[in-house]
Amino acid sequence: MKSTKFTPERNISKAETDRKWWEIGDFFRRNSLWLLMYCTGCCAIELPPAMTSAYDMERLGMGPMATPRQADILLVSGYLSLKTLRRLIYTYEQMSEPRYVVALGSCPINGGIYHDSHAVINQLDQYVPVDVYVAGCMPNTEAVMNGFVDLMEQIKNKSANGWKKYHDNYEWYRQNQIQSLGEVDVHDEFHD
Amino acid sequence: MTNSMTNVEFVQNLVKSNVNVLQEHITDQYQVHFVVEQDQVHYILNILKNAGWIQMSYLSAIDWPEENKFELVYIVFNWEKPVYVQIRTKIDRENPVMNSILPIYPGSKYYERECHEFFGVKFPGNPDYEKQLILENWDDIPPMRKDFDPEAYSKRKFPQREYSETYIVQSEGKSKLAKMEARKQRAESLRGGKK
Ligand code: SF4
Repeated sequence: MKSTKFTPERNISKAETDRKWWEIGDFFRRNSLWLLMYCTGCCAIELPPAMTSAYDMERLGMGPMATPRQADILLVSGYLSLKTLRRLIYTYEQMSEPRYVVALGSCPINGGIYHDSHAVINQLDQYVPVDVYVAGCMPNTEAVMNGFVDLMEQIKNKSANGWKKYHDNYEWYRQNQIQSLGEVDVHDEFHD
Repeated sequence: MTNSMTNVEFVQNLVKSNVNVLQEHITDQYQVHFVVEQDQVHYILNILKNAGWIQMSYLSAIDWPEENKFELVYIVFNWEKPVYVQIRTKIDRENPVMNSILPIYPGSKYYERECHEFFGVKFPGNPDYEKQLILENWDDIPPMRKDFDPEAYSKRKFPQREYSETYIVQSEGKSKLAKMEARKQRAESLRGGKK
């Protein structure tokens, strides 16, 4: 229905409007990234200096978030055992989109010093898409901060597409998860 | 206990007067271990518990594939006389069964589950020693046995990252530097105006 007031004719397509809104959304998103810290391994020790006054990630608009539903980044700091990976996949699937994954340390990249362990997976991006890897064992705090800045840059360039990849290749990820985990669902005394 | 007796001596007396000790070792004034026969473990643990070693600190196993034995290690602790006492015993490796010590130390429930999971030792008497505790959906031989190969397992189960066979040759770094230097000089030479 036309309003009685003067409304200029809109000839913008839906896709175009969406793109604009995404741009606006991405701008705000990248300037207020909330972390869900999944401190699995020793790399987590780099977070206290990154969060406190030494490097102060608050100045980038980043802060910790207690629940996966409201977090933007899933931060995997260090090695992941099979048991943790199950919970990580749960957590990842609980997060609302768009969601990003940052992995610290060489353990999620290629297994690091745990490459021959029966309990630790070797390559995280086989199971969930990873947007930023920060290499090092452990990466120093500058590198960690740089990783976050890289992620912001990626969001700006629209190349932080891990979550879309997870949608498109869900079958492939699922298959890898099943191959390594047997079953993704958690069955233990606390869940059954 | 007479005052002239140290805690370790007290334990030695207590254990040796009750069971046949196959081997003993005194690590320091806070730690001793005794190797006993398999069927005397419960008896000696009972005596130790009544003498004040009320805390079951740990129970685990050691794999000795050459001897074809598992060595079970029970560690108990006394808060009045601070000595860790380890009671060790060797059991058969092919069919590892050890009666549970649940009636003596209820806290051993989870240690027995853990030991069953990592070594495959069975603990009849413990109602859920077979339940999984740490590993989930384990599908191989117990992983702490010496004949388990973690690397092969890791290769089989977890995808490995592929690396291409190209390397960066370190000495190239120098020629790069030289190139940069040359470029700089050329830029310098092209620059007009005042120096
Ligand atoms: S990369 Fe190194 S520091 Fe980080 S979790 Fe692995 S072993 Fe620990």
